[in-house]
Amino acid sequence: MPELLDFQDAFVAALAGSPSALSPWLAPGEGAAGLSVYRNTIAKGCVDALAANFPTVLSMVGEDWFRAAAALFAREAPPASAALLDYGEAFPTWLERFPPADDTPYLAGIAHLDRLWTEALFAAEAPVLTAEALAALPPEVLAETNLALHPSVRFASFEAGLPSLWVAAREGREDLELPDQPETLLLVRDKGAVMHRVIGNAETAFLRACGDGLSSAEAAGRAFEADPDVQLAPLFAALIARGAFMETAR
Amino acid sequence: MITAGLGLKSQHYADALGCDAEGLWFEVHPENYMSAGGPRLAALEAVRARRPLSLHGVGLSLAADADPDPDHLAALKRLVDRFEPFVVSEHLAWSTHRGAHQPDLLPFPRTHAALARIAANIGRMQDALGRRVLIENPSLYLPLTGHDLDEVTFLTALVEHTGCGLLVDVNNVFVSASNLGYAAEAYLDALPAEAIGEIHLAGHGADTGGSSLLIDTHGAPVAEPVWALYRRLIRRIGPRPTLIERDDDIPAFAILMAERDRAAAELSALEAVHA
Repeated sequence: MPELLDFQDAFVAALAGSPSALSPWLAPGEGAAGLSVYRNTIAKGCVDALAANFPTVLSMVGEDWFRAAAALFAREAPPASAALLDYGEAFPTWLERFPPADDTPYLAGIAHLDRLWTEALFAAEAPVLTAEALAALPPEVLAETNLALHPSVRFASFEAGLPSLWVAAREGREDLELPDQPETLLLVRDKGAVMHRVIGNAETAFLRACGDGLSSAEAAGRAFEADPDVQLAPLFAALIARGAFMETAR
Repeated sequence: MITAGLGLKSQHYADALGCDAEGLWFEVHPENYMSAGGPRLAALEAVRARRPLSLHGVGLSLAADADPDPDHLAALKRLVDRFEPFVVSEHLAWSTHRGAHQPDLLPFPRTHAALARIAANIGRMQDALGRRVLIENPSLYLPLTGHDLDEVTFLTALVEHTGCGLLVDVNNVFVSASNLGYAAEAYLDALPAEAIGEIHLAGHGADTGGSSLLIDTHGAPVAEPVWALYRRLIRRIGPRPTLIERDDDIPAFAILMAERDRAAAELSALEAVHA
């Protein structure tokens, strides 16, 4: 007899607002205060986790707005796992459909960048391709080699300058503006901290090609297509210095 | 020798590494370290290189009417293998229900059927980890009916059926006894001494919602009546690794260490008496 599951079903129903579901286990009129303790603790756990995982959104909308929105999200999309450091994958797209956010259409994009930051922070460790190891590769071998992205690399492109806005908010600057031009944000974990940089079209095309498994010669071609004036050597050096690629198998 | 420890918070990593208190150990929630990589794991590794560590789970949901989540168990096993904790513990509570996780430690009617289910779940946990675990008494807020067993009898039966040990949270005993109207002293006096492998001390608060309930907030210093119960418990059972838990409104490391040092002093006073 699944009596324990029956109880769990009743308890969850009671949390959701039907306390009578618990009547086989609670005397009439009992338990309202206790249920609200459980309800508040659960909501606080979810909201605190979202606040930790979406700090830029929080800083832009303020504590009250954020906590109210996060509590609504948590009711619709409770965590799927106890590892709350991973909670909120669906929060950016939920914000897109959240009517009170209609006045701030950039909010979902900001949330998306916060999510990528969290993913970069907790991504797997992997040996990084160093400038020395790269220099040891014969040029013809390098040209044919796919430079695999480090597991912590994340990048996202936007029609408007959301990345600059995200960076300004993240750095606590007051003068928040949304530039008109398209931008891409690159995130990569370097020595335990997630570094961010707004990158251009050529660098984006290069990284995307590497991520798609193309050779570095093909990736360079994509970068030139994106921006014929690109200086590939400094672009490449900057990515290597940040540890954007994994050590290649010899 | 392992004496009194402290819940390790991410804002205190550097303080924890720099602290040279004798017998100090740390405890973390493994759920906060269930990532593929990143600086948190690296920081925990650095702390573990200098100090004993305990992994105190909050999310395996042993009192759910379902097998423990195999992914969660596998992630826990990886942490146990990597950090070699001296204690692994979990709660007599549930948090998962039909695929959703409620981040709290939820109650259940202590029936014979629940006992069989939870004993089986603890067995699965111990088999997966290849070691004995400690089970912690919950803080309770609802006067549920339909119990076949009182909590001490239930915990004692789990010890007998699974070979697990107990983690006694004295603050939870105080909070539950106050909320449900029983005597904390009698509860503590009835626990099987030899099964107790760790003790938790934490702070509680009044219900801001206006009821007379006490809430296990982990957001305040340990209250004096809880210290008195702690002294009573260790005088009966002898010294046990004792943890100061603080998870909300977290003060400076030194302030938490002062509470931790008080627990260490209680333990050494005990040894002086027994010597």
